[in-house]
Amino acid sequence: MNALGLLLPELILLVGALLVFLLDVAYDTDRESGASYGLVSGLFLVVAFLAAFFQMSLEPQQAFMMDIDAFAAFIKMTVFAGMALVALAGGRYMNRRTYNQGEFWTFFLIVSLAMSILAGANNLVLIYITIELLSITSYMLAAFFRDELRSAEAGMKYFLYGSVASAVMLYGLSFIYGAVGSLDLREVAGFFVQPDLTEELRVAMIPATLLALAGFAFKASLAPFYQWAPDTYEGSPTPVTTYLSTASKAAAFAVMARFFVVGLSALDVEWVPILAGLSILTMTMGNLAALRQNNVKRLLAYSSVAHAGYILMGLVAVAANAASGMDGLNGVLLYLFAYLFTNVGAFVSLMAVEETTGSVEMEAFQGLIHRAPWLAGMFTLFLLSLAGIPATGGFLGKFFVFGAAVQHQYYWLVAIALVNAGIAAFYYLRIIRTMYFGSQEDAGSRLELPLGMQATLLICTLATLWIGLYPPQVLDWVNTASQQILTAVLF
Amino acid sequence: MLSQYLFILLFTAMALVVPVMAIMMGHLLGPRHPDPVKNAVYESGMETIGDTWVQFRAQYYLIALIFVVFDVEAVFLFPIALAYKDVNALGAGAAIFFILLLLVGLLYDWRKGALEWQ
Amino acid sequence: MPTLPVPTFTQVVFVLIAAFTVISGLGVVVARNLFHSALLLAATFFGVAGLYVMLEAEFLAVTQILIYVGAVATLITFAIMLTRGAMHGETNPLNRQWGKAALFAFLFLVGLLGYLGGIPWPAPFQAIQADEGLIARLGEQLVTRYMVSLEVMGLLLMVALVGAILLARDDKP
Repeated sequence: MNALGLLLPELILLVGALLVFLLDVAYDTDRESGASYGLVSGLFLVVAFLAAFFQMSLEPQQAFMMDIDAFAAFIKMTVFAGMALVALAGGRYMNRRTYNQGEFWTFFLIVSLAMSILAGANNLVLIYITIELLSITSYMLAAFFRDELRSAEAGMKYFLYGSVASAVMLYGLSFIYGAVGSLDLREVAGFFVQPDLTEELRVAMIPATLLALAGFAFKASLAPFYQWAPDTYEGSPTPVTTYLSTASKAAAFAVMARFFVVGLSALDVEWVPILAGLSILTMTMGNLAALRQNNVKRLLAYSSVAHAGYILMGLVAVAANAASGMDGLNGVLLYLFAYLFTNVGAFVSLMAVEETTGSVEMEAFQGLIHRAPWLAGMFTLFLLSLAGIPATGGFLGKFFVFGAAVQHQYYWLVAIALVNAGIAAFYYLRIIRTMYFGSQEDAGSRLELPLGMQATLLICTLATLWIGLYPPQVLDWVNTASQQILTAVLF
Repeated sequence: MLSQYLFILLFTAMALVVPVMAIMMGHLLGPRHPDPVKNAVYESGMETIGDTWVQFRAQYYLIALIFVVFDVEAVFLFPIALAYKDVNALGAGAAIFFILLLLVGLLYDWRKGALEWQ
Repeated sequence: MPTLPVPTFTQVVFVLIAAFTVISGLGVVVARNLFHSALLLAATFFGVAGLYVMLEAEFLAVTQILIYVGAVATLITFAIMLTRGAMHGETNPLNRQWGKAALFAFLFLVGLLGYLGGIPWPAPFQAIQADEGLIARLGEQLVTRYMVSLEVMGLLLMVALVGAILLARDDKP
């Protein structure tokens, strides 16, 4: 039973999801119970967050094909924080727009549960099934407003891409199993460090890895598997978009980190160039497309694709013993953590404007400073953090990821990333300019924000500034997390 | 290795041969006196009106969806049932919880009226 | 003149089943009527089940028949019969891309053959003795080592049950 205790965050979420679900089954649907479901979900997420926080200080161990280590715990904290913030800010948004509130909150907690398992999963079967659970539940959440054409389209596109990607991934994983004879990532790693490993088998793992990568890249919206992202992000309910672009991405990167850094560490000569290529492709495609957008939701969607490219740089530059404390992996974690608060903040700002003006086009942001000075100010901070301006969390994440790449002397990669960051700054500043210098006549009346959104925006602002200005605590977490993975790696 | 499937092969062959034989025999031995009434689609009934390909009701599809889920569940239950005497309390609990999860799902479908024929 | 090797009984059966599977699989793609494609797909699933039997994976074969032939093929058939107009005439015509698609499929086949044939796949670590304990061992693994996977599977099925009704029900709540 001790092993079950190690699954505490997951068990908490499971109980929460079943509680909401049973309440929904037991009582009639027409009742306005969405708010209380949202409250219950938020509470369970907070408790799960505390359990994950407690797991940070545990010795690394394993239970039921899951690693319980600081890395998993940190990813869980990131995911739960993001989901709790989405619940706080977007609960009202969802509850007002759907009758199926019980289903929404059940799915919401199940999605959190799936991401939590993914953070620690170290077995290919568990990874595959959990990605399926996360994906299938997300398809439904994306299409949740099924009577709205855009939402149905979002779910449909997500589903079509996702089912193909996961089939391809499964095919790739089956090759790895065929070669290794085991599904356990540590045994996979042990197999490839054998001295008598034939060169043919080594090379043969490249196609297998590429196929498996298709599934991960789909979840993390990396090029060339990102085409679903803009349409799905734009059409989905905004709270769903928020978690898809933050928490879901964090879980995908956690799986990728474990798969490549732990499982295939001995094959890094093969996969590092592949990931580096994908990284460049992703950030460039994302930024170039974002440049042309006039719809802010779509712009943020493309920018989220570009950020996945930056984060991938950290995985490219992983090093077991880095002299300067930038081992790549801690850059990934730091980036994900900072990006989560920043992007949740940005999407909640967007949701606030959408709630009051009913539009997410650039025009809706004209003269926002006159209508809602606080909102405009906070949105500005989030955009600056996304652009990577110093003193924000986004800067620190970029600094660590870029720094790790410099250390590996991937100068060309860093150069391309810097050019991309410049392009990105351009379109972020365009939104800021619209907010501040739009004409005052179109400004309209002042915006009144619901309390939940105000609280979320405040938390996100404080967290972004906290990570940017006083990072020792966060750095301590990410270093512990990355070191626990890297010391166990058989480089 | 394949010899245990010989019976299935024989059975399949018989299942194919016997009906074909029966029809062939009737064709070869029976007398033939065709006339228009006898050649009608329904010899002692009405001609059908319209297309025979009718559109199905959407409800069938929902029932089929529910069926697929329980079909998958059944497949997982077979091996667990075989191993049931060897598993400990935690394992048995896991199996029961697995069934309960689906039961709750069924309860939901029932509650939302998906099982009622409209 | 070199003597041709006499094929064993197993090889003959394999070739028959494989040919059946490939031909019906090809039929799925080239059939002009979508409904015929669906029926041929069911036949393909059957053929794959036969291949599983040849590989002595009986449980997989039964699963294949139970789920793919029994449920998935039925579901696909229903979906086609539900769709207005999907039953008449050429509902599954060739489009302009078919040439390219055929070329890519062929290249993929060549690549895959080269890939799978050219690799010295390591032998299985331990031979599986084919007795009745095999499926029971699978069941035991399901509730011990793979416990979390099993419960995730259960949640997945539950979500599918709820989501199917949520998204496919035609009346508004």
